[in-house]
Amino acid sequence: MDFAILTFLAAPIVAGLIIAGIHAYLGLHVVERGVIFVDLSLAQIASLGAAIAVFRGADPHDPSIYWMSLIFTLIGAAIFAMIKGQEAHIPQEAIIGISYAVASAAVIITMSKSTGEAEHLKDMLVGNILSVQWPEVWLTGGIYAAIGLFHWIFRKRFLEISQDPKAVAARGISVRFWDFLFYASFGLVVTRSVAIAGVLLVFCYLIVPSVGAMLWAKRIGPRLAIGWVMGLFVSALGMYFSVLFDLPTGATIVCTFGLILVLMALMRPLIVRKAA
Amino acid sequence: MRSLIRLSTIAVLAAVAFAQPAAAAGLKVVTTTEDLASLAREVGGDRITVTALAKGYQDPHFVDPKPSFILEVNRADLLIVVGRELEIGWLPSLITSARNAKVQPGGNGYLDASLTVKILELPSGQITRAMGDVHPQGNPHYWLDPGNGRRMALAIKEKLSQLDPADKATFETRYADFDKRLAVAEKKWDAAMAPYKGTKIVTYHRSWPNFMDRFGLDVMGYVEPKPGIPPSPSHTIELIGEMKAQGVKLIVVEPYFDLKTPQSITNQVGGKVLVLAPSVGGQKEAGDYIQLFEYNVNLIVSSLKQLTGK
Repeated sequence: MDFAILTFLAAPIVAGLIIAGIHAYLGLHVVERGVIFVDLSLAQIASLGAAIAVFRGADPHDPSIYWMSLIFTLIGAAIFAMIKGQEAHIPQEAIIGISYAVASAAVIITMSKSTGEAEHLKDMLVGNILSVQWPEVWLTGGIYAAIGLFHWIFRKRFLEISQDPKAVAARGISVRFWDFLFYASFGLVVTRSVAIAGVLLVFCYLIVPSVGAMLWAKRIGPRLAIGWVMGLFVSALGMYFSVLFDLPTGATIVCTFGLILVLMALMRPLIVRKAA
Repeated sequence: MRSLIRLSTIAVLAAVAFAQPAAAAGLKVVTTTEDLASLAREVGGDRITVTALAKGYQDPHFVDPKPSFILEVNRADLLIVVGRELEIGWLPSLITSARNAKVQPGGNGYLDASLTVKILELPSGQITRAMGDVHPQGNPHYWLDPGNGRRMALAIKEKLSQLDPADKATFETRYADFDKRLAVAEKKWDAAMAPYKGTKIVTYHRSWPNFMDRFGLDVMGYVEPKPGIPPSPSHTIELIGEMKAQGVKLIVVEPYFDLKTPQSITNQVGGKVLVLAPSVGGQKEAGDYIQLFEYNVNLIVSSLKQLTGK
């Protein structure tokens, strides 16, 4: 391995750690709520916003693309928050899946109608963590810190709602309002992360650490700790493999997540017996 | 773990062994595509080392950068790019990440090979959105005209001579030799293609205007309704109708596109799908710039012979 590469990978490594940090936390909520694919769905809705901005004539690097995708994310957040409030006999996961499919298809249609730049649109929607630059890393770190602080302040409320929404609603608190705040802040994070790291990788950062943590621990505190350690560790290890074997970085981290999860599952009997 | 360490030791040793001759030779040239690498090799010979980033079988619009790309660009004395926004999706951030002042756009070690060639589909006058998909800088697949290959080799020769004046004479000789071999080959290709001048064909993506223009074939339509957009039913039906009306039998496809739609179209019109190599290395037989044309011309000629009976 050529260690000179490390000086160039500093920004991607830091970006990976920042993303791992917030997503391991949000992943706990997402898994608790049983809305595993909500990030894919919100990311795709955000892409639709970007595609429509391009369709309306925005340049590929125009800031209006980001704002448009943000507006769409908020609309998506509102939809997901509303649907949970209704006592229909439709699983929320179904609505999320449908939103994903429709948003993806709408992106394809919008691209087919947009004049110019369609060729490059795919690249804009699917980030590449290897090419992230420092200013982007700092900005993302700042935004995530603000959202993290917001979640820390209201951590009890968010956790209650994720674990037992009915009990919270019974106390006269508007679950719908808090759900909107949750999905909106979540969508903000996911939209940025996907632009940096791509859909596949962001999904893994979100879900795998909390699933891995569930294998080893029951209570929320230890689970969060395990999720963070796992997210940070796999992020660094995947980067290392990517350099060692010269593989595309994002895909390598995704596979490393899978590998470590299997190892954690195999080690489960040892850990859980010890804990009990 | 031990076997992993051993494996990585072997990998490092192998990398060092391969890197050794590179350190011994002169200018380190990095190109975005294998076509550019082949042309640089023709001119530079053993006075330079050449590395191509994208492989010939990859779609040069979409390349997934690997960590080694950053190192390659960082250590390059000269970076040669296709330009015309072909690599816009992956190259700019790669150049920024690599932090090599020499090869930044506008730097002395940055060569945009498209500046001296003949570019097709250049929009004239004011571009409006209503004109549909217009490449503001013209079609970037210009290397598929041997005349442009010669112009690119000339530009590379000038740049190499500027960066390494001591070897100028070698570059001159090698360029002259390439020029001669290319001219001989061109005569042969022109003769082979002559009977089919004006034959109408369809291509999948707009990769071939320079090639078809050079060899006198007429591209009457595309399988894609727009560059990068998968075929839509109405466009496909329209295309089938047009092909039937005009008696068009041949669809040329790049190796990285799905063959299903082109095949269903040719089933309808009784024609043939032909996968050509758009770049050096796109097929095993297309190992260098001249072989690329040799391969494509042979395939087109044998297909057209079969289809037209000429």
